[in-house]
Amino acid sequence: MIDIALGDYFAPLRSLFETVAEFESSIALRESQYVMPWVFVFHVVSMCMFAGTILMMDLRLLGIGHMQTPFSQVQRRLFPWQMVAMLFSSATGLALVWGNPMNYVTNIIFWVKMLAMGIAGINALAFHFITEYTLIDWDAGRTPPTGAKLAGALSIVLWANVVMAGRLMPYALTWFRE
Amino acid sequence: MEQLAYDIAAWPVSTAINESSWIFAVVQAFHLVALAFLAGSVLMVDLRLLGKGFSSQPTATVARDARPWLIGSIIAMALTGIPQFISLAPKEVESPYFRWKMMLLLTVLIFTFTIKRYVAYAPEGRVGGGISKIVALVSIGLWTSIAINGRLIGFFGV
Repeated sequence: MIDIALGDYFAPLRSLFETVAEFESSIALRESQYVMPWVFVFHVVSMCMFAGTILMMDLRLLGIGHMQTPFSQVQRRLFPWQMVAMLFSSATGLALVWGNPMNYVTNIIFWVKMLAMGIAGINALAFHFITEYTLIDWDAGRTPPTGAKLAGALSIVLWANVVMAGRLMPYALTWFRE
Repeated sequence: MEQLAYDIAAWPVSTAINESSWIFAVVQAFHLVALAFLAGSVLMVDLRLLGKGFSSQPTATVARDARPWLIGSIIAMALTGIPQFISLAPKEVESPYFRWKMMLLLTVLIFTFTIKRYVAYAPEGRVGGGISKIVALVSIGLWTSIAINGRLIGFFGV
């Protein structure tokens, strides 16, 4: 067990999470025996669809997967599915936190997940606004430029981190002292 | 069967997993990452079969590109799934969700490497659009049920 007083770092957020925890909707979610497991199930299923379609796009960016299809096609075709899946993952994820806010506010692995998601978002935007301008030069080529490979590699590492953190969250309480 | 499950759980490697505070958790985490890769590899071909993407590429091309990632992630799923099973074998074999998961898994593997493989690699136009769509929906349905049962093992099974 690692001795870190994590609770202190999140003290400003604690009152916000406490407020949510007192909402009737939060209490109802928490006390429902069967709703939460199914929210978890849908969170995992939508995660598969989201992370799966993101990872396949990343493999194309790295130049190690789906190389017979131009990048622009991989991206354009997967984009709507990524967005639908993101909507479902976000909604179910929000419901999970909404129902048990106090389980998450001092959970360091939860915050690692949130941070990784934030950085992954910035990475995607940076790719979209910078590297993608040169797309015409490498769209169907065998070797994407370094910038594209970097975006792909970062995305894989960050989303794998998000998925793993999600699974490891319940263990935070036994691994770290709050 | 029951005795075998107890024997498996008594293997030194199984007890080592159970006694560790982190091995099981980390293996589970990698199982989920492999699941994401698997879902992606499956969806690449299924979306193509549904006519929802990559229509300018022949299905066989999309399937050939996805194949190493599909096989690789199935292997990764097995490598991370087996340690979870052996450490909890007696409880797993009694869980209805685990049993469903294994039966569905066997079904989807046979389906993928026979019917879906035939449809995906058939020359363009040989297999009708309707059949392709059904094959894709069966594939998505089976894999999704496997993921759902996998998640439910942890809630109601073990």
